[in-house]
Amino acid sequence: MRELLTLLGYELKETFDSIPWTVYFWFFFGFQYFVYGQLVSRLVGSNLPNYYVYYGTGLLIIMTFNVASWSGRRFVEGAHEGRLRYILSLPIRRGELFLEQLMLGFIANIVRIGPPLILVLWLNGMPPIVLLTSLAVLLSMSVGVMGIMISLSFVAFKSFDIYSAIVASMSAILLRFSTILYPLSFMPNAYSSVARFNPLTYGADLLRNVMNVDVSQLLNPGSSAFIVAAVGVSTLTLGMAIVPRTLEGVKST
Amino acid sequence: MDSAVETFGLTKSYGSVKALDNLSVKVRKGEILVLLGPNGSGKSTLLLLLSTVLKPTAGTATVMGHDIVKQPLKVRETLGISFQEARGFWRHKPYHILAFHAAVYGLRGKERSEVVDRTLKDFDLWPSRNKRFMELSGGQAKRLEVAKLFVHRPEVALFDEPTAMVDLDGKRMIWDRIRNLREQGATVIVATNEVREAEYLADRISIMKEGKDVVTEDLRTLKDSITGGDVVEVGMSPAITSGALKVISEVPGTVRVTQATEDTLNVFVNKSEDWLPQMMASVQSLGVRITSIRVSEPSLDDVFLHYTGKEVANARA
Repeated sequence: MRELLTLLGYELKETFDSIPWTVYFWFFFGFQYFVYGQLVSRLVGSNLPNYYVYYGTGLLIIMTFNVASWSGRRFVEGAHEGRLRYILSLPIRRGELFLEQLMLGFIANIVRIGPPLILVLWLNGMPPIVLLTSLAVLLSMSVGVMGIMISLSFVAFKSFDIYSAIVASMSAILLRFSTILYPLSFMPNAYSSVARFNPLTYGADLLRNVMNVDVSQLLNPGSSAFIVAAVGVSTLTLGMAIVPRTLEGVKST
Repeated sequence: MDSAVETFGLTKSYGSVKALDNLSVKVRKGEILVLLGPNGSGKSTLLLLLSTVLKPTAGTATVMGHDIVKQPLKVRETLGISFQEARGFWRHKPYHILAFHAAVYGLRGKERSEVVDRTLKDFDLWPSRNKRFMELSGGQAKRLEVAKLFVHRPEVALFDEPTAMVDLDGKRMIWDRIRNLREQGATVIVATNEVREAEYLADRISIMKEGKDVVTEDLRTLKDSITGGDVVEVGMSPAITSGALKVISEVPGTVRVTQATEDTLNVFVNKSEDWLPQMMASVQSLGVRITSIRVSEPSLDDVFLHYTGKEVANARA
């Protein structure tokens, strides 16, 4: 356990070494929330009352997706760049390494998403308990996203450029064909049919359920929670099964 | 237990390609074994398997008695590996990289600081200690990669091309440090393409080809293993006679004799030091005066060529 914490501290130090990057992250959230959010809320107008809160929660999900995606890609990059090989040679159990990577992803998420989340909750007068429940939802979603990024690592050992392209395309599709910015009831049929297959849709609706945002527009919270948990566990398990193959593949290139 | 490392039919396959093919070698405690071989001969794969970064397809190995498949954590506690490519945490500084390495191996507080400071100075990295890893030169990054093993001084140290990208002074410094590690009791395995490195460091050399250990011996034995490897150039006066040619050819160690010039012979002989006195006495008994004599032994390049069919320079390509 001591080795795990030593490694976690070391990786956190590198992750948060660039303070301007984290500050920029928060600034970017603030700009989108206070400027773009206000503008788009006026455009939506009475079609979707209280859209500003809806938009704020959507923004939190987009940022969670980005941070989790970064965590997953960082793991794959580590395998590709030789960093992971070094860590694997250290006297740290594989299970502890897995746990450490998960903790690193969680902490990166909490640090980057925490302040914007607190801001949204505070501005909308939500009780403190919602901070815990909504953080739990966002972290559960981040597990699924990290799992997807790691699962795609088999592409990285053929070509990291192709991996990056696939991740970028997939991210664009996942973010857009979901309820992150618009509720299902608001979408054309074809669009909503696709969005119903997107796990982010369930994550977004679950978050809004725990934040009590326009519940009438949302999917059932029970099934949403089940899908978010199932996606997280299955993609992460798949990713962990693929990682050894990634390492072997990187070696052979 | 005389062997620090022993492999038992160790095999690593990538699809149909065997990177390591049924390898069985023993590395004695306290020796430096140099793995010398063309690129793709399995040297790095062997080191990655021993360090448990990769898992074998078949066979196994022990490191200080610990099985790499069944006791990987024990193995990792026992050894350290310096990788071929110095790649790490780009934003960290040399001091933090070594301090982290020391902490993982249990060094704490003042002891850790002292060890890290000393290692930075030993590897001429002290002036660069506050640069980020990504700002280091190739040679500095490589020295840092090697220096990690001198922080925790493992019982078994694995070095994969430890002086690649390092300048001549740096090479000599790293070689001396590695020898020093051995003198302090560590067992060392070095994978390299550089003949000079192998000659400087090795107690024994293992020549590898296509995932197999072709031969493992000390340098002297390897050189002596080449039939007619020593070349004795003999100058005579007056000119060479058929009698002189005959008596030299009949000396037991002689493999073949060629006439280089009117008064010089090249004698290809096994272990020239054993047969030279008899050769000279035979020639002089014919009344022929020996005017010059020069002995050259095979280089490690010749040995490498002999066993792999490739010259070292081409093997690197």
